Amino acid sequence: MASQIEKKLTPSRILIYATLLLACVAYLIPVFIMIITSFKTTGDIRSGNLISFPEVWSFEAWAKAWSTACTGVQCNGVSGFFWNSIKMAVPAVLISTALGAINGYVLSKWRFRGSDIFFSLLLFGCFLPFQVILLPMAATLGKMGLANTTTGLVIVHVVYGVAFTTLFFRNFYVGVPDALIKAARLDGAGFVTIFVRILLPMSVPIIMVCFIWQFTQIWNDFLFGVVFASGDSQPITVGLNNLVNTSTGVKEYNVDMAAAMIAALPTLVVYVLAGKYFIRGLTSGAVKG
Amino acid sequence: MAQLQLKGIRKTYGNAVQETLKGIDINIESGEFLILVGPSGCGKSTLMNSIAGLETVTEGSILIDGRDVTNAEPKDRDIAMVFQSYALYPTMTVRENIAFGLKIRRMPKEEIDAEVERVAKLLQIEPLLDRKPSQLSGGQQQRVAMGRALARRPKLYLFDEPLSNLDAKLRVEMRTEIKRLHQRLGTTIVYVTHDQIEAMTLADRIAVIKDGELLQLGSPKEIYERPSCRYVASFIGSPAMSFIPLTVESDGGNLRASLRSADGEQIYVPLPETLAAYEGKEIHLGIRPEHITQPLAHKAGQEATSSGKFRIEVTEPTGPDVMALIKINDTEVHCRLDPDHTVDPGEPAELMIDLSRAVYFEAGKEARIDI
Ligand SMILES: Nc1ncnc2c1ncn2[C@@H]1O[C@H](COP(=O)(O)OP(=O)(O)O)[C@@H](O)[C@H]1O
Ligand SMILES: [Mg+2]
Repeated sequence: MASQIEKKLTPSRILIYATLLLACVAYLIPVFIMIITSFKTTGDIRSGNLISFPEVWSFEAWAKAWSTACTGVQCNGVSGFFWNSIKMAVPAVLISTALGAINGYVLSKWRFRGSDIFFSLLLFGCFLPFQVILLPMAATLGKMGLANTTTGLVIVHVVYGVAFTTLFFRNFYVGVPDALIKAARLDGAGFVTIFVRILLPMSVPIIMVCFIWQFTQIWNDFLFGVVFASGDSQPITVGLNNLVNTSTGVKEYNVDMAAAMIAALPTLVVYVLAGKYFIRGLTSGAVKG
Repeated sequence: MAQLQLKGIRKTYGNAVQETLKGIDINIESGEFLILVGPSGCGKSTLMNSIAGLETVTEGSILIDGRDVTNAEPKDRDIAMVFQSYALYPTMTVRENIAFGLKIRRMPKEEIDAEVERVAKLLQIEPLLDRKPSQLSGGQQQRVAMGRALARRPKLYLFDEPLSNLDAKLRVEMRTEIKRLHQRLGTTIVYVTHDQIEAMTLADRIAVIKDGELLQLGSPKEIYERPSCRYVASFIGSPAMSFIPLTVESDGGNLRASLRSADGEQIYVPLPETLAAYEGKEIHLGIRPEHITQPLAHKAGQEATSSGKFRIEVTEPTGPDVMALIKINDTEVHCRLDPDHTVDPGEPAELMIDLSRAVYFEAGKEARIDI
């Protein structure tokens, strides 16, 4: 029955598909142009047209963007920035997710007097514009001796991200029946055991949501990177900006595009690997007990 | 197996204005099956959680085998609980679910395996041991939840509406099974239900709770035959007890009352001497459906029985009986007739009223008149 209904191509269905297709094309064309441009040679770009395929597929622009393109005075490509970003994003994502999980666990299953107020205040963190915390954060990092370090950036992103991860985990755990916790307590499990043995194993979808969300936020962040880091701790977004804005003679669009692709790839990879959990985790809520 | 004493348990939730438990006193003997019944929201779960240590009590004390556990952690009370939602750990297999509490208590591996086997056999869930809860039917999940409770061999079992989520047929099956388990293992059980048939069939004693107060504590027979108040009288029994308003009259030294049918016919029924204090006053007669029947030869002529014609308003055949609705003194009254005794709705029928088990209430008061 269901499949018969699905197969019927009604006008409204055609309209839906057409709209979706259009949206797809609109989103994919820039990516498509970026990709083909990054594989062209400089000559190819000048002679050919914007959406034609490269005459010869060349990896030169990628190699240059990675290791020899100039980003300001230095000409070492974006590879250094890329590793900076990895060194910043991976710990920041892991720490903020872990803290969010513990916060969410306490705020949903071990409520204390004032825990709802605490949660509301924490939620403010989700709505704070980046700009507001720039100066106080700079001062704090300076006092801690962490100005212009990757550690400093990690701390900034953890502090900023915890509001979101707490929100995610708390709402997920609210959906977990309290009876599960009661049963575990009667079985003799304590605070930590319940978290580690009962809740964490069922949290895979929401952990994935946090990973994707946090990784995308942190990896793509430019403002914190440009303000709180300098020289050898700057993230890829800053590197990309420097590369594109460095004017040494002819504009090398293929190198710019390759660098942009390099900067975008990790978030793509994370989404492809964990994406199926993303929608599920956002929509399904918790497993029924 | 253990004895459980609840002494003056009071509980007010932190964020609540109203007191949820208003002084509950119950002594539960070792091996006893105690049932808590009461309407939804009366505090049954709160009392269970307090016994288990999942909630703290505001006042009063809880003793298990004489040891005061009022402030003990749940894990130190040696209690297992079966929840209405089963609360199986979703990421663990049935085996892991049953073994969880044993592992935490650091029981050696071989002993755990043996215990899981024993429980699985007892509940006939051996083929399910390697499945996840989501792969089980409701009835199977219920068994696993019981298995998890049984595995620890705790001193005390708490069941909070364990059968409410099952369909009717399975519920009856599991009810029998729980009764059999109790007879076999002789465990102390406190069991919450709002199903009065479950209460009557399972309990050694029933505690009827309403608005956080213990209305009556007694054997099913006591509760059924000598309810302490109007509420208990109408809560237990289905169809419920009928309450007929009548006036106590004196007829040459004997007390009696008149019952008027819908057609205006009147009969007199004898009342017990002990109601003398209410002569001339209106009281309510509480009578259960099975005490208004077709004329029964073996009861004819007994002191407490009377007969009269009453118009049958509605009949509801249930199989073993026909429940009929009549009107006495302008009040609807249920009676239970033999299906072979044909009566026609709308027509008068000769009925026999047996007052030997009747109970009486003062008009406008809750408590039963002690006779
Ligand atoms: N955690 C809680 N906080 C505040 N009030 C509660 C809480 N749990 C239950 N209550 C209140 O206590 C009363 C009794 O609830 P409960 O014990 O669950 O009743 P029952 O199990 O008999 O249906 C209800 O009025 C309920 O709203
Ligand atoms: Mg309840």
